[in-house]
Amino acid sequence: MTNNEPQSDGGTPVETDTIRQEQPTSRLRRLAETITAPATVDAAVYVLYAVAVVFFVFPALWVVSASLRPEGELFSYPFRLLPSEISLTAYQQVIDAGVATWLVNSTLVTILGVGGILLVSVPAAYAFSRFEFRGRRGLLGIVLLFQMISPVIIIVPLYTVMSTLGLLRTRAGLVLLYVGIQTPFSIWLLKGYFDTVPMELDYAARIDGCNRLQTLRYVLLRPVAPGIAVVGIFNTVLTWSEFVLAFTVLRSESRLHTISIGVYKFQGQYGNDWRAIAAASVIGMLPLVLVFLGLQRYFVKGLVEGSLKG
Amino acid sequence: MDHPLPWLAPTLVLLAVFQLYPMVEAVLMSFTNESLVSPDTEFVGIEQYARLATDPQFWEMLRVTAIYAFSSVVLHVLLGLVLALAIDYGVRRGLRGHLTTRVSVLLAWIVPGIIIGLVWKVMLVESQFGAINYLLGLVGVGPVPFRSDPTLALISTIVAGTWRGTAFSMIMIYGGLQRVPQRLYEAARVDGAGRWNRFRHVTLPQLKSVLFVTIVLVTIYALNTFDLIFALTGGGPGRSTQVLALFMYQEAFQDNALGRGASIAVVMLVANLALTAVYLYAFDVSEEI
Repeated sequence: MTNNEPQSDGGTPVETDTIRQEQPTSRLRRLAETITAPATVDAAVYVLYAVAVVFFVFPALWVVSASLRPEGELFSYPFRLLPSEISLTAYQQVIDAGVATWLVNSTLVTILGVGGILLVSVPAAYAFSRFEFRGRRGLLGIVLLFQMISPVIIIVPLYTVMSTLGLLRTRAGLVLLYVGIQTPFSIWLLKGYFDTVPMELDYAARIDGCNRLQTLRYVLLRPVAPGIAVVGIFNTVLTWSEFVLAFTVLRSESRLHTISIGVYKFQGQYGNDWRAIAAASVIGMLPLVLVFLGLQRYFVKGLVEGSLKG
Repeated sequence: MDHPLPWLAPTLVLLAVFQLYPMVEAVLMSFTNESLVSPDTEFVGIEQYARLATDPQFWEMLRVTAIYAFSSVVLHVLLGLVLALAIDYGVRRGLRGHLTTRVSVLLAWIVPGIIIGLVWKVMLVESQFGAINYLLGLVGVGPVPFRSDPTLALISTIVAGTWRGTAFSMIMIYGGLQRVPQRLYEAARVDGAGRWNRFRHVTLPQLKSVLFVTIVLVTIYALNTFDLIFALTGGGPGRSTQVLALFMYQEAFQDNALGRGASIAVVMLVANLALTAVYLYAFDVSEEI
């Protein structure tokens, strides 16, 4: 926008009038007025939109275009932005490499993981919001602190923990790990939503004979639904995309490999076959893109409405 | 059920097993020579750290990590701020295209990190057949060795990281903008404040806390980046894009030296905690809790 303008009169006539009375109109000032006039700003914003859309969408579209080429076209003249004809050979290569297994594994891990995260973090967020107990702030501080520490840092000891518990090379182990790692942030987000619900609802439910579990289930769950949606979507994206934990826990157990691992291994095998790598990338990003296109409205709305504070 | 413990028990057990214990264990492990291939583990004191401190390559990797993290924070937050302001402006003025812009930026964010690495690998193919090199060729530049020149490789990882990460800053700041009370803008207008002054004296101060949290989270995120670089350059050429996370992973799981890997992890942990401390100090979160 106009952030880098040295000085401006703003766009509305009221302001310019008051300022004009004191200062003679100079050429510079007229220039500044033109620059900050609503029409100029609108135009600048449109240009910015266009640049942003190209920068953020072009790489994905180029990969789609590259994946649909006939054999050899990526490396022949003339350069084409679009394929001369559609060929699905590259997709056949990815399917033969076992992409269906990776997709099923990722879907299973994501559903179980996100379900587990919600099952653990909703009651915990409720407790942090509704109970008064000693050490509550301290405990919440610790939860917040864990959120600041990337799982990459503890990957080495996590490997030995998983090994000791017999959870290496198991899907259950990976799911448990995701629940453990992603719960802190989810609790922190959800607590914000619980805090916005007035306590009067709890009191009314209590008078009607609800215990705490029933209050949560029948009274509070509806008002915090936008928060649950945000946490659910956020964790779906994280879990589906996660690589380093899955790579470390599942090791070489290829029948359990998730999409990220599968695609990574695939590109290791196919080296410079850009068309095949592009096809694998498209399959890897498509499911989330489709789900997210449908849900991003709720995601942004939930985030804005709720209290992703500070 | 009237006691908080049953509500918190699953969380506490999971945190203890998967976060607290591994963190303590990382520190303990860093004082040993634990290895995946040898059963004998001995206490070796600060040997691992001494080794790191005298290894010029370690300092080089620390430098690469710092450059990557710092550039990422500047680019993500600045771009995120500009986009959030532009989208907010578009919504208020009823401009078309703000939704498309928002969705485009968010789409890049949900692509898995490994795949982002590959997408950019395909974009940056180093002959005239690569998309970017073709476009540069049209204006008479290139072909540019995006992934085989040390400096360009680091820049490429930063650009790919920005492609992914900007959405997070944008959405955080956009959320913050929605919570700025409208009466403040009206008051500023009445006082004759122009567009720039309203931004400088109303928007920016109101966004201070959001910006701070965003900056810290992005710093920590960038500092621990693994998947994107792993897929895009694998740390190369040479060690020019070898960030600490990659180095740690290689030491621990490719050279089987868990103790050595743990000592690098502790260095990263200290860096993260130091930044978190700055965050807790500079931005008083006690009121949020």
